[in-house]
Amino acid sequence: MTEGLNFDYTVFIPEFLLLGLAAAIVALDLAYPAIRKQWLAYIAGCGLLATAGVSLAWIDVETNFADLVVVDNYLTYFRVFFMVIAAVVAFASADLVAQRLKHPGEYYGLIIVSTVGAIGMAGARELMTAYLSLELLSFSLYILVSYAKFDRRSNEAGMKYILLGAFSSAMFLYGMSLIYGITGTTYYSGIAAALGERATDFEWALLMGLVLMIAGIGFKIAAVPFHMWTPDAYEGAPVAVTAYLATTSKAAGFAFVLPLFSNAFQVVHDDWSWMLAGMAAATMILGNVVALQQRNIKRLMAYSSIGQVGYLLMGVAALSHASASALVLHLTGYMVSNLALFVVIIAWVHMNDSEEIADFRGMRERAPLLAGVLAGALFSLAGLPLFAGFVTKFILFQAATDDGYLWLAAIGVTTSVISLYYYLQVMREAFVSAPAEGAGPLPVPLLMRGLAVAMMLGVFYVGLYPQQLFDAIDNATRFLFV
Amino acid sequence: MIEQFGRAGFLLLFAVAFPLLPIVASVVLGVFKIRPRKPDPVKESIYECGMVPIGNAQVRYNVRYYVFGLLFVIFDVEAVFLYPWAVTYRQLGLYAFVEVVLFLGILFVGYAYAWRKGAMEWK
Repeated sequence: MTEGLNFDYTVFIPEFLLLGLAAAIVALDLAYPAIRKQWLAYIAGCGLLATAGVSLAWIDVETNFADLVVVDNYLTYFRVFFMVIAAVVAFASADLVAQRLKHPGEYYGLIIVSTVGAIGMAGARELMTAYLSLELLSFSLYILVSYAKFDRRSNEAGMKYILLGAFSSAMFLYGMSLIYGITGTTYYSGIAAALGERATDFEWALLMGLVLMIAGIGFKIAAVPFHMWTPDAYEGAPVAVTAYLATTSKAAGFAFVLPLFSNAFQVVHDDWSWMLAGMAAATMILGNVVALQQRNIKRLMAYSSIGQVGYLLMGVAALSHASASALVLHLTGYMVSNLALFVVIIAWVHMNDSEEIADFRGMRERAPLLAGVLAGALFSLAGLPLFAGFVTKFILFQAATDDGYLWLAAIGVTTSVISLYYYLQVMREAFVSAPAEGAGPLPVPLLMRGLAVAMMLGVFYVGLYPQQLFDAIDNATRFLFV
Repeated sequence: MIEQFGRAGFLLLFAVAFPLLPIVASVVLGVFKIRPRKPDPVKESIYECGMVPIGNAQVRYNVRYYVFGLLFVIFDVEAVFLYPWAVTYRQLGLYAFVEVVLFLGILFVGYAYAWRKGAMEWK
């Protein structure tokens, strides 16, 4: 049974390092309660970046662990991707967690553990492995969302998130069991082989399985009509956790969906692409239109992220090598812009104690650097030229059009214009409205300023020199379509 | 396919009708004055297997029970995992021994963590 399988545990060295790091940070906080809590953030961030460096050793390596997890450039790309996101979030939450939340050791520990889950989702080529990774990520996020223990909104958000998350997991499992019933295997390659032979025998069960799996995934990535939890969870969670929700949890969903659909379900592309195309259209329209009337910055970001999921789903619906590359490129550009914006939001919300968009007024006078990064990040999210969002969206829409989804691309362009309006609303408060009486310049910590500038440089890098990055991504997604 | 679902659907119909029928019958008989209605306090009280009910059913449990429950589950599951290992220990040999020691080690770290965090204290 186990003959011929590769049980080489060394392929998991980056994950082992991450788990060790998480345990070390929790132990450090436990053993030395007097330690300055910011140091835990610095250790977590530096450890994550160092591990990202270690995982570069697997570039151009092609191996697997017992056919459950495949290590190739695709996984390496997402390892670095998730670890860098977690590092930025850890650095950005240093002051916030030290001053507003309890149990900082566990906070960073959970962020690191959830990163391991996200990496597992990208690497898994077997349904149970993927499901376990998904739950590792989700469980960490359930706790993180309700981390402000004495804040009722945070408790409410955590409650809603865990109930809907458990419900969606159950649907996903049911879908998995139906697919297993049809194909007799949980390996992606086996599913594809079995479906290729006798897909037509079980049309109804296949359809049910796909619907349930797509619904489960739809909950995790917050696609319409499974998006209801998003605004509440984003609003109630501590703002740094909102940033983490909007980046890693979304990206992990797509990192999981790409190999799943390209390796397991590409043979029955016609059976599911219409569902995802419909979801993409609904998600783009609803996310961007409802965002227009938000007054709270976290809720605005929630609907903005729903809108962005719509663009990304377009790439899954059209699934081909070109559209997968375009999807990952847009995902990367979106994450960089989102992190830039969230660094500003975390700094501003932490110092001003208000999440209302109206309270962003006077940012230009009070914190000019943050205001500049805010403007750049918002332009990038809306998709204006020079910034990351334009190039990545352009390539994504083009890839979707090439695969025959011109109507989706048209909706994408239209809703991008709508999104410009609500992004500019935030900018109007920051730049045009005068600051409140007696509000002087804000002492923005050096770390936050450095992070904001670094993320902004990332936005310009993706926006102005995307060729290098695109080649790397194209090389990574190539492994999904062999 | 549809036929098989149909059988399950028939079962579903029966399962819904079975509890609904007495309720509907009771209401209908009440409307036609066939069913007598003579309420008294004992009849209207909650059925507690013949005991006299005490207090409100919606009491709040102390959240600390939950922590103890969680710790109990950890060691309960640990014991469940140890049984199959102990039964097949002779065949599996050193490799399984090391794995179980590793497993117990991880659980022990969790135990030490819970202890240090004060999860064992009732305060």
